[in-house]
This record gives sequence, structure tokens and C-alpha cells, in this order.
Amino acid sequence: MSNKQPALEVRDLTAGYQKKPVLWSIYLEVPQGALACIVGPNGAGKSTFIKTVMDLIPATAGDVKIFGKSLAEVRNRISYVPQRESVDWDFPASAYDVVLMGRYGKLGLFKRAGKEDKRIAMQALEKVGMESFASRQISQLSGGQQQRVFLARALAQEADLYFLDEPFAGVDASTEKAIIDLLREMSREGKTIIAVHHDLQSAPSYFDYAILLNLRLIAAGPTETVFIDKNLQDTYGGKLTLLTEVGDLMKNKRFPEREK
Amino acid sequence: METFWDFFSFSNANVRYVTFGAILVTSSAAIVGCFTFLRKKALVGDAVAHAVLPGVCLGFILSGVKDPLWIIIGAFITGWLSLLLMDQIISKSRIKEDSAIAFILSTFFGLGILLLTWIQKSGNAAQSGLDQFLFGKAAALVGNDLIVFSFVAIALIALVVLFFKEFQLLGFNKDFAQSMGLPVKFIEFISTSMTVLAVVAGIQAVGVVLMAAMLITPPAAARYWTNSLKKMLVLAAIFGGFSGLAGAYISYLAPAMPTGPWIVVVVSFIAFFSFFFAPEKGIIPLAKLQKRNQQKITDENILKGLYHLREDEQHLKQTFTFNELLEKRPMQEDRFQKSIKRLSRKGLIKLENRTLDLSDNGLILAKRVVKLHRLWELYLSEFLNKAPDQVHDEAETIEHLITPELEKQLEERLNFPNKDPHNEDIPY
Repeated sequence: MSNKQPALEVRDLTAGYQKKPVLWSIYLEVPQGALACIVGPNGAGKSTFIKTVMDLIPATAGDVKIFGKSLAEVRNRISYVPQRESVDWDFPASAYDVVLMGRYGKLGLFKRAGKEDKRIAMQALEKVGMESFASRQISQLSGGQQQRVFLARALAQEADLYFLDEPFAGVDASTEKAIIDLLREMSREGKTIIAVHHDLQSAPSYFDYAILLNLRLIAAGPTETVFIDKNLQDTYGGKLTLLTEVGDLMKNKRFPEREK
Repeated sequence: METFWDFFSFSNANVRYVTFGAILVTSSAAIVGCFTFLRKKALVGDAVAHAVLPGVCLGFILSGVKDPLWIIIGAFITGWLSLLLMDQIISKSRIKEDSAIAFILSTFFGLGILLLTWIQKSGNAAQSGLDQFLFGKAAALVGNDLIVFSFVAIALIALVVLFFKEFQLLGFNKDFAQSMGLPVKFIEFISTSMTVLAVVAGIQAVGVVLMAAMLITPPAAARYWTNSLKKMLVLAAIFGGFSGLAGAYISYLAPAMPTGPWIVVVVSFIAFFSFFFAPEKGIIPLAKLQKRNQQKITDENILKGLYHLREDEQHLKQTFTFNELLEKRPMQEDRFQKSIKRLSRKGLIKLENRTLDLSDNGLILAKRVVKLHRLWELYLSEFLNKAPDQVHDEAETIEHLITPELEKQLEERLNFPNKDPHNEDIPY
């Protein structure tokens, strides 16, 4: 593992919404093959971190390397699973239609999905146990089933690095188990997984690598070394109110986050 | 009636052209509008539709003639300008989206009316017909106008076919599209330009004031009939095209009448019809479903009540009066009357001289409801540790809902028990 490039390497990453910083100078590395969680309280910037790495939110400062390269060079090797609530599930599409969307990145503009793409999409649905729901309208799926469809779409991307934003939010116990089993299997195959996770209790048993975040990076590393009382207290203990106040001040005074 | 046949025989070449053009521009607007609708940009579409008016006037002022090409260029520029300004207002000021839309719509439209009035007062003879762009006149869709606007409409349909996959993805999940490296900004530019062009293509037949209805109403109606995006596009095109046809006919009947309002009335009628009558999603089918549920509940309660009465009499007595049943199981008089008629018609009860008895089939159904009720009570008390006095009310509803598949699961999970938590027999 040590001789490999890290799957994700982040240096001084800083980002914010409308002048209010949400992430402050994050430095971290995630090794290849890690099954990693991002843990932190509400508003800690967990989703923002993923979105900034994926360049969905512009970073105000910092540098991101994925497999040692820039994002644009390795996009086809990365998959992003947004929060389930971030889309309108009343959109006219079937579960299969959504999974097939996972192939659009490799297809590029104008090209239609071919036989091979359709086979991969169907296979992805089977992997998450949703093949019998392929033609079901997505609004008629339960929350857990919708999450499985999102995961199948990610599988159809055939990526090496997966970012998942709250894959366990609002899912039933059996789906949670199915998802974690699948993530473990992917990790065994050498895929790297980075997931936002809310449940502190299950985090150490689910994940072998952890990133503790609360506006700043508290700690990142193998779960057993990171999940110690001091780190958890720093993350959840509410000691960071000063940081929030400085953030508010920046916003109200329209102060730049970095000198230009 | 004669004019009806004159029109619909399409023997007049002019009628053919006008009708063809009107159908083409309204259906293409409906197709493009599907994505505007799905991206929840209906109000933005309305603002753009109004914002093309100053461009139309400027196109005329700069060229000095009513030339569709100049008009399209002018309309395209002010349409896009309105969108850019809207984005800037939302991102750079404290004004929220709804206010920004209202602000841009009224500003651009006001400016357009100002220019239009000025042109009309200027005494330029070529300006006649420019005011038709406000409310539309399908009959004027001839010559150059027909060629240019039809060309735009065909190009729009071709672009939707070409970009179908991208528009679908952007409509459903923009962040995901961007994460895969699709040129989201470029696709959005194409998509927005198409909205502007759809408005421009439609201004001769429908007019700027009501053009937004052509973008939004057909997709809104089509969404009621299908869950497939492709079918939705086709249906929206048909709804839009049909209203365009109606507009052309009206324009033929009454040349002085603006066609836009007529087209909108027709398409709105289709939309309201869909809201009310579309299967599964329409208001009336949904109301019917609720009524059927209510009937099922009442019917099953009567069957169950009769079974309970039999149990009270150790199954020695089987015929009971209305009053005995209503005492056991109080219910609304009219619901009761309708229900016993229904049950008797279905052969589930025997109705004689204001007395009731279960038929053989009725007994099977009654037993099933009683069984489901008691199984559910047992399930709640065994698996959720609910006290026996807390399980009845919930079981009252669930007993009518459980499907044969769930029934089987429930029986197996509980291993075919004989007694419920109140120590009453579970009939099989």
C-alpha cells in the first residue's frame, strides 16, 4: 500500500458559501483501497468537502490530487453519489433509466447507450438486489430502494474511487446492511470508498479509515487511531464556536478568505 | 360547418401553410418546454417570453423592415440579456429569485411596449403587423415568416433529439452530470438558448404575452399521463400541436381575432382535463379510489359484524336484524344501506325482511377479515410488545389493507396461532 499513490490527497483546501468559510485549510490523504468515512456534526462541512473535491463548489484555496493527478485527468475513475434528497424523485424516469445515467460520463456527448452499457446497467441493478424494480417509476420506490438505485448508478460508472454523500440516510436496516456489504466487497477489490457517515456508533465497525471534520480537519487516519475520546470531543464538543464567529465576521464584513 | 370543411380539407395552399407552421411552432415549444418544466424554470420561461419584446422592436428599428431574421436576432439578444441579468441579481444582491423574475419580466416588457408604441407613432408603414407579436396571429404565418419560424422549430426538435441524454441528466441530477465531467455550462447554454428560440419561433402564432403557456402547459398536462420522459415529450408535442391547429382554425374563421389567447384556452382545457381525469394521478380517479376504499371498509365491517354476532351466539343463530347489527357495529345510515345492497348484489349476504345472514362466500370473506384483525393484534403484541388494550384500533384499519401475500407472511411469521391477545379464536 505504501508504495502506491494515495487515492486522494488534499492540501490547504478552503471553501465556503457566499463568503462564509465552511472548510478551513484541510490537509489530508486517503490511501488506495481504504473504506473511509467522513464524520462530524451537522454543518461541519462534510458534504461541502466532497463537493469541493469534485469541483462542484469552487475552492477558495488549495489543491486536490486524485491518484496523483488533477481531477480533470481522472474523472472517469471517480464516482460521486449525491445525497438522496438532492434530487426530485418525481422526475419521469425508471430505476433502470437512472442507473443507465451512470454510463453517460464514459459515453460523452451525443452518443447513445449501446448494448454493453445496458448490460452493465442491468448488472449493477442486480448487484444491489433491485433487478425486479428495473422498470419501476422512481417516485414509487422506498427511500432505501432509491438509495440502492443511486448506488447501482455509481457501480455502472465502473470507477476506482467512490464518494458517497450520506449513503445510509433514511434507509431501512436491511438496506444499510446490503450497502455496507457491497462497500466492503468493493473495498476488497481495491476500490477506494469515501462516505459521509452520521452514526458514530457504527462507524468503527463499518469503516477502516476515518476523517473527523468540523470546519477544520480534526484527524484523519485508520479508524482505531482516529476514534479516540479526545478527537471525538474536539469534533463534537462545541469548542469551535470561536471558529464559527470568525466565519460570520468574514461574511458580514465581506472579508476575503485569502489575501489576494 | 362549411368553413370547418373548407379549413380541414386543407385544399387552400395558404391554409395548409399556416396550419403546418402553427402546429410546428407550438409543438416544438412544448417539447423544449418539457425540460424547462422539469428543471422547474417555468417562471423563468415566462420572464424570457416577455423579455424578447424589446428585442423584436429593436430588430425592427435597426433593419427598418419587419424581417423575421432581424426579429429573431433582436429577440435572442434581449431574451438572453434578461437571463444573465436575472442570474446576476440573484447571485450579487439580496433580492431572491421570485422577485428577480418579476422585476426582470416587468422591466423588459415595459421597455418593449415603450419601443412598440414609439415605432407605431413614428409613422413607418412597414411596422403594420408588429403589434401582432403581442397576442399572436397565426394567419400571418406565411412567406418568409413561415420559412424562418418553421426552420427554427425544426432545429429545436432536432436539438432535443441530439441532446436528449444530456437534457435528461441535467433535469434529474445536475451535480451528478457535472461530477462526471459533462460540459454542464455548455449544455445549459444550449438548453436556455433553446427556450429563448422556442419563444421566438412562437411569437408570430401565439405572441409574447402568452408564449410561456406554450412552454409549460403541454408538459404539465403530459406529465399526468406518463412516467416516461420520451412519452412525455411526444404527448406534450401532440397537446401543443393540437392547440396550434385550433389556433390556426380560429385565425381562419375570424381573421381579426388574436390567436394566442385561443391557443392558450385550448391547451389549458387539455391541461385541466388531464388534472381531473388522467388515470392514477387525476383528481377524479384518485377520489374514486378513495371512495372504493371507503366502500370496502364499510362492506367488510358489515361482514365482520355479522360474524361477531354469530360468535356471540356460539354460531347457533345466524340471521340477525338490522338493529342487532347496528348495535354491534354502529355506522352511518346511508353508508349502511348502500353497503348491504352492494353485498346482497354480490351474493355475500342474504337480505330478507330487514334481516341479514352471511352467504357461504360472505362467510369466507368475513372470517378472513376477522382473522387478519386478530393476527395483526397478535403481531403487534408479540413483535412490538404492545399491551393488548393498545392493539385494537390499529388492527381496525390494517385488516382492510393486507394483501394475500402479506397475509401469508403474517401467518407464517406467527406460525398459524389459534388465539389473539384477547384470547379470542382466530378463524382459518
